[in-house]
Amino acid sequence: MVKRTWFYGLLVVLLVGAAAPGVVPAQAQAADGPVVLALESAREPVEAWAAAFASMEGGAALDLRFVATASEIMARAGEAAVIISDTYEETPPIAFECGYISDVFMLLPGLGARYLASNSCSGVLDPRDALARDFLRFAISPAGQQLAIDLGLLPAVVEIVDQSGATVRVPQPVWRIASPYSIATYYVYGVGAADRLVAAGYLGARDPEGKAGMLKLDPNFETIANAVSTLNQQEANIEELAALHPDLILASARTSWLDAAAALGVSILRFEGESPEALQDAMTLLGAVLGPHAAYQAEQFNAYYSRTLDAILAQTQTIAEPVRVYFSGTNPLRVASGDMYQTAMVEAAGAISVTADLTGYWNDVNLEQVAVWDPDVILFVPYGGANVEAFTGAAEWSAIRAVYEGRVYRLPKLSAPWDTPVPDSILGIIWIAQTLYPDQMSLDCAAETMTFYRLFYGYVMSEGEAQSICK
Amino acid sequence: MTPILSRWLPGACVWLHAEHRQKALYLLILLLPLPAAIYCIGLGRYAIPTEDVVRALLDFALGRHDASAGPDIVYNLVTRVRLPRIAAAMFIGANLAVTGATFQGIFRNPLVDSNILGVTSGAGFGAALMLLLVGDPLEVQLAAFFVGLVAVLLAYSVSRLYHSAPLLVLTLVGILVGSFFSSLTSLLKYVADPLDTLPAITYWLMGGLTDVTLGDIPALAAISLLGMVVLWGVRWRLNVLSMGDNEALALGLNPTRLKLLIIVCSTLMTAMAVSVGGVIGWVGLVIPHAARTLVGPDHQRLIPATMALGAVFLLLIDTMSRTLLPAEVPLGVFTGVVGVPLLLVILRVNRTGWR
Repeated sequence: MVKRTWFYGLLVVLLVGAAAPGVVPAQAQAADGPVVLALESAREPVEAWAAAFASMEGGAALDLRFVATASEIMARAGEAAVIISDTYEETPPIAFECGYISDVFMLLPGLGARYLASNSCSGVLDPRDALARDFLRFAISPAGQQLAIDLGLLPAVVEIVDQSGATVRVPQPVWRIASPYSIATYYVYGVGAADRLVAAGYLGARDPEGKAGMLKLDPNFETIANAVSTLNQQEANIEELAALHPDLILASARTSWLDAAAALGVSILRFEGESPEALQDAMTLLGAVLGPHAAYQAEQFNAYYSRTLDAILAQTQTIAEPVRVYFSGTNPLRVASGDMYQTAMVEAAGAISVTADLTGYWNDVNLEQVAVWDPDVILFVPYGGANVEAFTGAAEWSAIRAVYEGRVYRLPKLSAPWDTPVPDSILGIIWIAQTLYPDQMSLDCAAETMTFYRLFYGYVMSEGEAQSICK
Repeated sequence: MTPILSRWLPGACVWLHAEHRQKALYLLILLLPLPAAIYCIGLGRYAIPTEDVVRALLDFALGRHDASAGPDIVYNLVTRVRLPRIAAAMFIGANLAVTGATFQGIFRNPLVDSNILGVTSGAGFGAALMLLLVGDPLEVQLAAFFVGLVAVLLAYSVSRLYHSAPLLVLTLVGILVGSFFSSLTSLLKYVADPLDTLPAITYWLMGGLTDVTLGDIPALAAISLLGMVVLWGVRWRLNVLSMGDNEALALGLNPTRLKLLIIVCSTLMTAMAVSVGGVIGWVGLVIPHAARTLVGPDHQRLIPATMALGAVFLLLIDTMSRTLLPAEVPLGVFTGVVGVPLLLVILRVNRTGWR
């Protein structure tokens, strides 16, 4: 009996001894952890991220495997849960029974990653796949950025000229963002850095419909929206703001309390993104200060935006008689001037805005002027109590062409209204184009809406929901 | 009293005795609103030939418009846009002007108008509150009307608590109540959503007749006509009141009750005007002074003349506002831009009346 125990003990020692030489390197390596397949040239940062990820709560040790070439990564992607390569635009040629390959996580300039959710058959992300995803989320987080900065792979300070022309120094990484400019809040979501928001205004999320939409995009947004009792363009509770220790404030040229905020020593970016070009510049600007992944997302957004505009332009160029549109605000007789984003949207959709000659902000007009314009279509904003009955139910409007031809439409929204210069406005342009030219337009609002919210808000929308928004 | 026109047009009026000249001018002023209205209904951004305007008006008056014939732009514009707007402008102008004149009389102060007791600030607060909470136009209008009345009631009852110099105290308390409601309005603007309710409140406070519809006219007309009849009726008593309470008592009038009647009446008229047209400044100050220059300070003539001139003044201003540019100039802005220089000229020319 004693002899037998001794024998088994010896056997165990021998087996372990034989296995030991195969463990290289000893730390942060686990045979059953998710496999990370990375380029040899990226060994240094990947090992740093993996070590930090293994030591953090909810993290785990990873099985790191380094190979020399990108093509080898593509070839061996089947064995990996995460692939890290410089050919990140390519998707590995793997067919899953179920599961999916993620969008790109941009870890460093020129170094992208994807996770392969190969085990997620039940519709819920498998814990192993979730680990792979969390590792990549960590690598693009401020903590991950900090490791790359320590290795000298990312700059410690970014200096940039904002849209007000001021040169702004932004120490890297940006951990905590305050966004009193309620449009810029959506830029932050668009570049995939919403987890850094500590206090923000949310355009259009006060009314029940907008709030319900925003809760879908970010279930925790109300915490951020209520973090500071007063935070908007006109005013802010500076002390409450200071207590949150933001290191970046997103403002607009109209934010009036920034002198007080400057005393906090916080970097302040001022945006002026209220035209299609300026919106793209604003995204680029924000991306440039929030790290490589945000920069990549901004680039993706801008590409998506210009691609869509080009597609619409190609299809509307041949239209002999563009539709004449009257764009109305919170009151039927309040119209968007030619300086406003709404007019740019109408024009981008291949139509003519009858109010394009007006200047300034919203203008009040009278019905005689509307009769002079006699628009083919009336569009109105999805907020402030604007409703279709104000046009169709009012006798004085009955002789206006758009009304008696039944072409009065409300702009859609999920959270922020699609007629405001938030990233979602590109969907507004698609929707306007499709509504005005249903026969000529090949873009499909519902399909684009699903793609857009998945890419830029990480929100997977059902087809039914997309249809009902676009209707 | 040397009315200005008799100095300007001595040749034209030389055949008339001075007293007759005065009377002719007064009658001319009283009749002025009619041709002004007829002239203005032909004007608009949308060119409509005169005969079509007349036909639309006849169709409307005789109720023979055939709605089944499909949308008729000319009929719609004339009867549903121009007509209500012209009516609203004239009633509101008359209300604001005549209440300004009566308040100047009873407060014996040329610098007050019917806003002195806080009716406009109260109405503004009521409207802002409803715009914030519900946004329904009818409720906004009702709230403006009633909170305007509440503000004046508050000013009047608080002032009764003090026992010295009642007019001065009433003026002071009125200003305080007005400021109080303005602060409340600012508070509402502060919490309002910058995307929708805030602009709505701001636009409402600026004043304008863009949104006036035919449905707004009956209530406005009823309150305005009622108020005008009452003020017309007490116009000679205003002369007595403007001499002071002791003189009024000596002449057998109860100044407190009379003032209350006039204040109630004027407040109803002003609240109605504000609830339909928003805050339109200067009419209550400029027009009474202009009327005084033309017909003299005797309320017997001053009150009717102020009504007529107020109606014509706001009608012309509103017609400019709706015809000059594609986008409307807010009425409150226009009355200030036109009214203030006008007042300066009047004050220069007319050195009589207020000594």
